[in-house]
Amino acid sequence: MNETPQKTTHFGYKTVAENDKASMVADVFHSVAAKYDVMNDLMSFGVHRLWKRQTIASSGVRKGHHVLDLAGGTGDLTAKFSQLVGETGQVVLGDINSSMLKVGREKLHNLGLVGNIDYVQMNAEMLPFPDNSFDVITIAFGLRNVTDKDKALRSMYRILKPGGRLLVLEFSKPEHEVLSKAYDFYSFNLLPTMGKLVANDSESYKYLAESIRMHPDQDTLKAMMDDAGFEQTTYQNLTGGIVALHRGFKY
Amino acid sequence: MALEQVTEKNNDRSTTSTFFMLPNFVLSLIEHVLNQALKLDPKLSKKLNEVKELRLVVEVRDWQQTIQLVFADKKLHLYTAQSSDNADCMISADIDTLIALKNPAMLTQLIRQDKLDLQGDLNIAQTYSNAFSSLDIDWPEQLSKHIGDGPAQQLYLHLTSLKQQNSKVKKQLATTLTSLCQDELAITIHPLELEQFKQQNRVIKSQVAAIEQRINALLNIVTR
Repeated sequence: MNETPQKTTHFGYKTVAENDKASMVADVFHSVAAKYDVMNDLMSFGVHRLWKRQTIASSGVRKGHHVLDLAGGTGDLTAKFSQLVGETGQVVLGDINSSMLKVGREKLHNLGLVGNIDYVQMNAEMLPFPDNSFDVITIAFGLRNVTDKDKALRSMYRILKPGGRLLVLEFSKPEHEVLSKAYDFYSFNLLPTMGKLVANDSESYKYLAESIRMHPDQDTLKAMMDDAGFEQTTYQNLTGGIVALHRGFKY
Repeated sequence: MALEQVTEKNNDRSTTSTFFMLPNFVLSLIEHVLNQALKLDPKLSKKLNEVKELRLVVEVRDWQQTIQLVFADKKLHLYTAQSSDNADCMISADIDTLIALKNPAMLTQLIRQDKLDLQGDLNIAQTYSNAFSSLDIDWPEQLSKHIGDGPAQQLYLHLTSLKQQNSKVKKQLATTLTSLCQDELAITIHPLELEQFKQQNRVIKSQVAAIEQRINALLNIVTR
């Protein structure tokens, strides 16, 4: 009897069944959700706040806009978007992981941000919204965890309004060899140790380092966005290419 | 920007490398300071409510930076801006001109002098200028929350007198330096001497012009 070969994908450096990746990623984020913000500040020395500021600056978001903050996690971008779109706008904080959504919702409620934010647990590959629904979609440090990135990008394209834009903030490939080596040493030696000490979880942070290396580089991701239908696609390297901000429009 | 490398890879793709994220860092600090000012002067929020959720884009020409400013949810939000797209009001000027906007009456004058370009709703720029020029923080009141009424008032009076003394000393130093340069070291001249010199110059200039006219008249007679 012939068995259909099982489709595989990568989970960090491991090769796993495609169907298993989502649950494995979910386990990682269930594990780190409570300490996510502290670890972000520690790991990036606070620079993640500046990367996110740049994302908001590039979003062109304004009063009345409808914004989807995909893989929004603990809601850093949602908090700012909620203030900028005002009462007439709407922000959807979407994440596949219930633990992250819970932490995000609690944090935003404590900040007094209620009224124009919806929280939706969703899979980026099958976004549960009608066509042409959003003015801006952002996905910050989330795309590399998605199993089928092309499908996710097509799904985002579908729900963007004509004239709308997608912003992908994600770890990428450092531009210079020296920086790349220093970054590798930091990621594979110091990061898991910090994870162990602060979040009592070195494996999740080992996965983080590995998943970053497996993520498409700047030009590949740009090509993927072009293939999904986005136009005027550009990217901006931040902190020497450790992070890249891709931007594409739907017309 | 020295810390920013801008690399154009081809016509349809631009790659900007921002290593230290300096503009974002500076703007986040300024945003923090402005929001503290908003907390300390409640009237400021009321004034800025007129431009709530409207986008002011400011291009600082000599810094080659464009900044967007939005007052929303009782806070000021400052970000870098890529263009003036979606701006409700856009101002473009040098930093000195922008500082001169502390006086709201200067706005139209600076536009007439071509020192400032303004597109969009003039009222937004005027509201921001008015709001910040009339910023009035009750420092004794703010200090009293931390150290009590008596010490706060004493400290405030002490600081005020220190400020007055400082400006007095500065004024005195300037006068001493001027008289030293003019009278003792004789390396600069007195304004009256300068005026006299200018007057003499003007007389010589008019005499030279008269001689030139006469020479030209004589030349005309000779060449006939």
